[in-house]
Amino acid sequence: MFKRWPIFLTLTAGLMAQLPAQADQLADIQERGTIRIAVPQDFPPFGSVGPDLKPRGLDIDTAHLIADKLGTTLVLVPVTSTNRIPFLTTGKVDLVISSLGKSAEREMVIDFSKPYAPFFLGVFGPKDMKISAPADLSGKVIGVTRGGIEDIELSKQAPEDANIKRFEDNNATIAAYLAGQTELIASGSSVMAAIADKNPERTPVMKITLKNSPNFVGLNKGETALKDRVNAIIDTARTDGTLNGVSQRWLGQPLPADM
Amino acid sequence: MDFTLWDIVRNLLTGLQWTLLLSLVAFICGGMAGLALVFARLSPIQPLRIAARLYIELFQGTPLLMQLFLMFFGLSLLGLEVSAWFAAALALTLFTSAFLAEIWRGCVEAIPQGQWEASSSLAMTRFEQMRHVILPQALRIAVAPTVGFSVQVVKGTAVTSIIGFTELTKTGGMLANATFKPFLVYGLVALGYFVLCYPLSFAARRLERRLNATAA
Amino acid sequence: MAYQFDFQPVFAQGDRLLQGALFTLELTALGMLFGIGLGIVGAVVRAWRIKPFDMLFGVYVELIRNTPFIVQLFFIFFGLPALGLRMNEWQAGALAMVINLGAYSTEIIRAGIEAVPRSQLEAAAALAMSRMETFRHVVLRPALASVWPALSSQVVIVMLGSAVCSQISIEELTFAANFIQSRNFRAFETYLVTTLLYLVMAILIRQLLAWIGQRFVMRRR
Repeated sequence: MFKRWPIFLTLTAGLMAQLPAQADQLADIQERGTIRIAVPQDFPPFGSVGPDLKPRGLDIDTAHLIADKLGTTLVLVPVTSTNRIPFLTTGKVDLVISSLGKSAEREMVIDFSKPYAPFFLGVFGPKDMKISAPADLSGKVIGVTRGGIEDIELSKQAPEDANIKRFEDNNATIAAYLAGQTELIASGSSVMAAIADKNPERTPVMKITLKNSPNFVGLNKGETALKDRVNAIIDTARTDGTLNGVSQRWLGQPLPADM
Repeated sequence: MDFTLWDIVRNLLTGLQWTLLLSLVAFICGGMAGLALVFARLSPIQPLRIAARLYIELFQGTPLLMQLFLMFFGLSLLGLEVSAWFAAALALTLFTSAFLAEIWRGCVEAIPQGQWEASSSLAMTRFEQMRHVILPQALRIAVAPTVGFSVQVVKGTAVTSIIGFTELTKTGGMLANATFKPFLVYGLVALGYFVLCYPLSFAARRLERRLNATAA
Repeated sequence: MAYQFDFQPVFAQGDRLLQGALFTLELTALGMLFGIGLGIVGAVVRAWRIKPFDMLFGVYVELIRNTPFIVQLFFIFFGLPALGLRMNEWQAGALAMVINLGAYSTEIIRAGIEAVPRSQLEAAAALAMSRMETFRHVVLRPALASVWPALSSQVVIVMLGSAVCSQISIEELTFAANFIQSRNFRAFETYLVTTLLYLVMAILIRQLLAWIGQRFVMRRR
């Protein structure tokens, strides 16, 4: 029965050759008339769900902006921090607008646009906990969402004996902190602000800044046409004040001057 | 963005519908594939038997979660467009077929050898033997364990939440975070599954008891 | 740009995978030991209708068997702290496994106990065996022997089900796979290798339990 193997392999190779090889993704998107964009739904204020369970937030507004300017219908695909890059590389989405920060590891796999929103990563904890430097994290239980820049940074900066708990998505990371399963949480400052007013007892206060890591749109490698288009849209939106409006609406602050 | 109890329940009920739909699809498609597998598993052709055994071994010996991941990320590498819904339905179908095939094989093998011999002496083909003699009898003993296994299918759908299919568990996770009431939300989620599964467990037990009573 | 399979980044993390596999096995061993222990207690209580515990065990068995493991796990880890009951992820995971296997083995072992013929008990009484001796040699041993295959498959099912423990940050095999995948972005290759590891573990556990069954449970006196 193993004689059949070559046939199977040829078939598989044939299928794989049909992958967007010569692909110009921008042309594909325009032909289809729809663009699929990965957005968060567990990461307020960038993306969370309302009582209708539909995603809303800064990233969703940005996705709408780009889809509108491309003149295509927008399909929102909710993703987690862990699976957003596989979603892009395996062709499930065209763009990732999901609070994605830039890192050397990621740049080997995907491309990035220009930044569209500010993001500060830090370690947060209850008001009365005395922590001011990474060394103070020794022996502490810190929750973080696996695979995010905050995970990479925390793993780098925290001392050897810090107890880092990694969760699959931000929902779980935040839930674990609020339930008291972790003492501290590593995440974004705006995210913490968004959950603070809901939870007066465990209001997370910034203890340590890990990284200034603005958000970028993630694209598949080599899609130059698409990347140029997205960058042009971001440039225009920055000069005409659209991005600033989005930032004001969700983060309650204007876009930083250096962006 | 405030959620009333009704908002929570309403959204969970929507998730419950998807759980139900996914369970039905997996059970029906898995049942059909399972039937084909039983034929392969009991076939006189050896390579077919071996292939069916390997298939069953593979799906019974690996976590459903891994099967889901592979289906979800693997098929799209082959250039096939796969949504979370499709990957979930396909993985659960394959998973279900492997278990049902094994359950049904047990039932077929419980039919006394004499039945095969008698029907072959009537010059029936193997398919006819199965169709007219063996399966009708096997069916009678298969009903209870099959209904019992359907509970595992319903519960299996919960794992699809991890690849982002918005069924009951995933809806629960989103709500737990949006409302900050994990105890209430997960309690309701558990209740939702119980309402789906308990009648099935109960029916399976009833059927089994009735079968034992008639057999005795 | 066709997808190029590359397993090298996965094998480079082999240590992490094996470490994860070890944790999965530890969790399973813990779940098995205490789960089957709980199952024996539950089975006796249910089979002999010891009031009022038989009712309690009945409710427990139905609740656990009719809800998904992942929901039980989330309820324990995320939900119970609201009642002031806080466990770390290992305690929560181990507890969920014990509770889960406990419910299934209660039903499995009960069937075994109920299958022990009355006459055997009468014979034991005639031989003036003590209650404890009767229980051990006439009830439990034959009951376990008759349901050992079912019990073994349930242990394998629970081991495979423990993959979802990764969701509450327990660093078992699936967690290791997710971790590696989120660093090397080789999702398919990582999960493929991990799946095969699970398969090997399932086969090994089945063999081991079959051996234990023959050596200790079904052994003739």
